[in-house]
Amino acid sequence: MTETTVKATFDIYRFEPGRDAKPRYQRFVLDLPPHTPVLTALLKIRDGSDPSLTLRYSCRGAICGSCAMQINSKSRLACQTPIGPELERDGRIVIEPMRNQPVLRDLVVEQESFWRQYDKIEPHLILDPRKPMPEGRENPMTTQEVDRFKETPRCIACAACFSACPAVEADAGFPGPMALAKLYRFVVDPRDQGHQDRLVRIQTEGLWLCLRCHLCTEACPKDVRPSERIRDLKEMAIAAQGGTEHGSKHAIGFKDNIRERGLINESKLVRQTSGLLGLAGQATQGLRMIRKKPEILKSPHRIDGLDEVEKIYQALDDVPEGKS
Amino acid sequence: MKLAYYPGCVAQGSGRELDMATRWVCRALGIELVEFPTFSCCGSGFIDEANEVLNVALNARNLAIAEKAGLDLLTVCSTCTGMLTLANLRLTDPTVKARVEGALKPLGIEYRGSTKVKHLLRVLTEDIGVDAIRAKVVRPLGGLKVGAFYGCHLLRPADELHWESAEEPHAFEDLLTAIGATPVYYRGRVMCCGFPIQFVKPETGSRIAGRQIDDAKAHGADAMATPCPLCHVSLDAYQNQAEKAVGHDLDMPIFHLPQVVGLALGATPEDLGLARHIVPTGPAIAKIRPPARA
Repeated sequence: MTETTVKATFDIYRFEPGRDAKPRYQRFVLDLPPHTPVLTALLKIRDGSDPSLTLRYSCRGAICGSCAMQINSKSRLACQTPIGPELERDGRIVIEPMRNQPVLRDLVVEQESFWRQYDKIEPHLILDPRKPMPEGRENPMTTQEVDRFKETPRCIACAACFSACPAVEADAGFPGPMALAKLYRFVVDPRDQGHQDRLVRIQTEGLWLCLRCHLCTEACPKDVRPSERIRDLKEMAIAAQGGTEHGSKHAIGFKDNIRERGLINESKLVRQTSGLLGLAGQATQGLRMIRKKPEILKSPHRIDGLDEVEKIYQALDDVPEGKS
Repeated sequence: MKLAYYPGCVAQGSGRELDMATRWVCRALGIELVEFPTFSCCGSGFIDEANEVLNVALNARNLAIAEKAGLDLLTVCSTCTGMLTLANLRLTDPTVKARVEGALKPLGIEYRGSTKVKHLLRVLTEDIGVDAIRAKVVRPLGGLKVGAFYGCHLLRPADELHWESAEEPHAFEDLLTAIGATPVYYRGRVMCCGFPIQFVKPETGSRIAGRQIDDAKAHGADAMATPCPLCHVSLDAYQNQAEKAVGHDLDMPIFHLPQVVGLALGATPEDLGLARHIVPTGPAIAKIRPPARA
């Protein structure tokens, strides 16, 4: 009995900086069963056709996180992506290195920035020397405490999220989804004694640059859901310290703004978040807007039933967390 | 069909042209909009950063208003769609539900969780259908290449929103084809517009906006169209900032979803509030060619 195969066309990114003037795409056509993982196909190409094809991989089982790359423009683990659906949808498979990290050769990227961001969040338990852990015995956690980690311990640091993230692409000051998901994991760890400092620090170290576009959550092969944990971190940072940065001031200002009328008061919000200096910076912008859209100067109407909104705020926002 | 119309803040403020175009298109397609002056803001992805349970409760109140009237909710903003849909989901968590009910019950508000949240794009492509829309086209947008720009919260997280593929959506492109335009496929169509950090770090937000516009342009788009008024702010109102961030002119007209549909169904630029845009839409409209006679 022979297995059904499909004709699989691969267009693979090839580039050796310093030797090649620019990247090129090399085509390989193979007959393979549709369930073949992309990684298996790439290794067949390397071993059968072109031993110079350079890629990272190790476990072949979605544990080591080495083989993340772009497969038809999406950041994925090659070992975990079967060729069949890719071919069905796009007719071919374009293989490129991950984004947001410089190419060393072919599909291998320099991951220094990714690991530097990870290092910055201090990915280890911080212990207060005045409150040492009990010697000679473990620190057991309750099931409820372990549940607070949510999906974050699943992270294999493959960097697919870092590759997919538009904030990483646009701003070197953003730690990236993986580093922040890991930070969350330490902040909620009951053994960690540094979580207050961690929350204070991250407010000024890029937390508020997250766009909550959820591209990381979509890219993650382990369903770590970094964007949702970053949202949790924002709420915890505000609870710890209030609004100290543009981002936290904006979130708090927005919340308070809606309480007044039920709908957003756009011009007031800009004043609240950016302050007068910020507003001056946006003056040209503001004038252009006012000319075409004069109503931005006016406050919106008050919604009917604003008293209900007010009572919801009183019940859930005025009372400290845990006492409602 | 009859829907509870949830315009959201921007369509009632600086994006009033979206409200005008929505009403025009719905009238043309026989969609009855029931209005509720009691609806409050969806939270826009900001309130939940400060207080998630409060945000869910505010949206449970909105959803309860539609439920009481026995209507599904029509949204015209990707972010409103995401926030209201996710509120439904968060309410399945017993702890969240108990706290929300604790706040709503004293007000006599009960929400049983039955309200469906439907963005206009979904209503047009699923409930009305692209064939029915094609049949009503009086001015096909032939010659106009349009890059759809979905907006994050209409697509992601896909496993929570249960609609289109987050990476390969096609509803908007199907609709553009039905009204005679040529859809442009580009990576940026499912990317972020940069809006959420326009108040945090404007130069980064604008760089992100500029990249998506550049991408659409590189793939031949004459215009972009978005189902999200927040994307519209970032792409249209702040386009001059995006130009500064990427270092060159962009000159990309940005339509709201119902504006492109309205144009094809015979609305005038005045009906659709096109003069309110910061980037003029005239150059794009001038590219529309009357269909060749068969």
